[in-house]
Amino acid sequence: MNVVAGATSCPVAAPRIRAALVFGVLAILVAVVLVANVGIGSVAISPAEILEMLRRPGDDSIVGAIVWKIRIPRAIAAVVGGAYLAVSGLLLQVYFRNPIVGPFILGISSGATVMVSLVMLTSLTVGLTVLSPFMTTLAAFAGAYGVMMIVVAVAARVKNSVTLLIVGLMMGYLCGAVTAVLTALAEKEKIKGFVLWQLGSFSGFKWSEIQVLLVGGGLVLVLIYTLSKPLNAFLLGEEYAASMGVPIRRFRVLILLCACALAGMITAAAGPVAFVGLAVPHMARLSFATSDNRVLIPGACLIGALVTSLCDLVARMLLSPVELPLSAITAFFGAPIVIGLLLKRRVEM
Amino acid sequence: MKKHLKQPTKPEDRSPVLTCRNLTVGYKDKPVLSGVDLSLEAGHFVTLLGPNGAGKTTLLRTLSRHLAPLSGDIRIHGRPLAAMRAAELARFMAVVLTNKVAPPLFSVYEFVALGRYPHTDFLGRLGPDDHAAVQSALAAVRAEGLARRIFTDLSDGERQKALVARALAQQPQLLLLDEPTLHLDLKHRLEVMAILRDLCRKRKITVLASLHDVDVAAKVSDRVALIKDGRLSAWGAPEQILTGGSVAALYDFDGAAFSRHLGGIEMRGDGSRGRAFVVAGMGSGAQIYRLLAKRGFAIATGVLHTNDLDYFVARSLGAECAIQSSMQAIDHHNLAAADQLSAGCDVVIDCGFEVGPMNEANLTLVKNAVGAGRAVFSLRGNGTGAPEEGQAGHGCIRCQDPGHLLDLLESYLAVKHGAPQAAQSEKESVS
Repeated sequence: MNVVAGATSCPVAAPRIRAALVFGVLAILVAVVLVANVGIGSVAISPAEILEMLRRPGDDSIVGAIVWKIRIPRAIAAVVGGAYLAVSGLLLQVYFRNPIVGPFILGISSGATVMVSLVMLTSLTVGLTVLSPFMTTLAAFAGAYGVMMIVVAVAARVKNSVTLLIVGLMMGYLCGAVTAVLTALAEKEKIKGFVLWQLGSFSGFKWSEIQVLLVGGGLVLVLIYTLSKPLNAFLLGEEYAASMGVPIRRFRVLILLCACALAGMITAAAGPVAFVGLAVPHMARLSFATSDNRVLIPGACLIGALVTSLCDLVARMLLSPVELPLSAITAFFGAPIVIGLLLKRRVEM
Repeated sequence: MKKHLKQPTKPEDRSPVLTCRNLTVGYKDKPVLSGVDLSLEAGHFVTLLGPNGAGKTTLLRTLSRHLAPLSGDIRIHGRPLAAMRAAELARFMAVVLTNKVAPPLFSVYEFVALGRYPHTDFLGRLGPDDHAAVQSALAAVRAEGLARRIFTDLSDGERQKALVARALAQQPQLLLLDEPTLHLDLKHRLEVMAILRDLCRKRKITVLASLHDVDVAAKVSDRVALIKDGRLSAWGAPEQILTGGSVAALYDFDGAAFSRHLGGIEMRGDGSRGRAFVVAGMGSGAQIYRLLAKRGFAIATGVLHTNDLDYFVARSLGAECAIQSSMQAIDHHNLAAADQLSAGCDVVIDCGFEVGPMNEANLTLVKNAVGAGRAVFSLRGNGTGAPEEGQAGHGCIRCQDPGHLLDLLESYLAVKHGAPQAAQSEKESVS
């Protein structure tokens, strides 16, 4: 038993040690996978070379170009994308008090897809293409938020989680239908880009996009972390949370805005990536053995980063030089995990 | 700022903890309760009683500010409820709701610590004060042993204690509970009520709870509010408010009655099995009356002194009684009345009451019944009684205990009527 200063036996100390250990292990793993993602590829680069290159940004050699223009942006994008999607899923699971929601399942990704298809496939953006990546990001965010609002409106009427799930699925189908119609009407040259985007990939990230992701998403993450206390109170349901002094209305809007911002941002840049937002929060809960969001928010970031980086590595290397769609890999890995967790009933909320 | 708000208890503040004036509560345009006037004193246990759907929960939700009042005034120590800041209110009032909560992977300690929300910093870190408050809350609900258990693994009763502890961790002056004993077994029901009563007595917390058990409410409450037909039908001390009549009206009782002397509810029989005359007294009849009522007998009894436990039970069960003023020997007048009641009954039961100068006349009733050839069942002590008791027992069907009495009664009725369940033909054959 842990006896803390003041002789107060405090049952919270043991989980803290565990959390610190898990955080340490995860951080090391993420670093390892990050290095692997930069090093492994059609041109293998040793860790020593990577270190060397890190000291010379903008190096013009072939290796330098590969590291700085292709590998590092992609590795960072995978880390950031995984982290954001995981936190977005965590927020939604707390908000709906439902373990089987995530940005993809609730149709948020589909909503983003519709808006992005509007931007990418139609001539709406003629003359505005300069503004991309901001245009696609904004479009994705708008789409994500639009679908989210519809799902929330329905969720307010029906508390049943299965109904909520079906509504999300239906929203996904509707959005898919709109996207299909737009694709049928679009010019051929535009379709290829859109289809590639729709498969989901962290390749081809520009540094400007990375900056937007890091700064914008970073601010949202900080905001979310400051919300971790009301998020914890929210685990007891809205009424208890309100009775403890959580400003419910403001807080609800904030959670949804943050979740949509993170998921929308990643969907805009990398395309819809399935299952990370759904599976990673559960993995975080189990690894840290807690529902405390002060631990889970950074925890989900690390696990999301780790899982997505690994999936990206597999997508690139499994059938190299053919690159597999990222969503396929995340689904292969995520779906069995979710089914297993639900069957074991260890993640009921 | 955090520190000086921490102990909101001001002993010098004698104003009512919470007052309602002409309050109307409900949803949108549908008032559920109107004209509610209440005043909660510090340290009082206040109970809301009323049938399902009367509006108890709606009233509680309005007082906890989950619902806006439709009209009227709610004040906390004289200040309007609506004007209080959320954090301030959370340090003053805590709630225990009927909602199922099952946060995953929370130990009971962590769960209770969630109640520290209005006291902790913006990340919810627990300081020494917070740990002390959590420990004290766990101790108050006698749940120190549960601290390390996982919340979702608890039984209903343990869970309810953890929920009360979480509310206490807010260090409230006022605790609102919606049906705190719902779904609990008898042990936990009593334990939770005892815990709540102790909170009032020892910690001077005001408790406002909606309850279903009138008998429990009568025993723990300082004030009760009866809620029926969209209004507060009565408000005051349970000793004044809870009478057989008011409780029957509250719940539209049929076939049951609340007795304030007994502090509980008696279930009446439908009288379809025939009439039994019970010679009782000195508390010997209470159990027999209930047994007979349970089996559907109509009961007549006498002669009972008006200070006898048997008298109160018989009255609650709707028995016909021949009575005698307390502390007086039974006079011939009342004895004759009892004899007449006895003559109209199918069976006579002698409960084996203790005999003294005040009630020895009751033995005559037994003797007369035997003399008249009616079926008399006697529970009188097996050979231990005084000589005259032995005489009285002569010619009776002897029963060892109430269970035996019941068996003998059933077989007697079966023989008498040919078929055991011939309830209909009973009355005809009697006449």
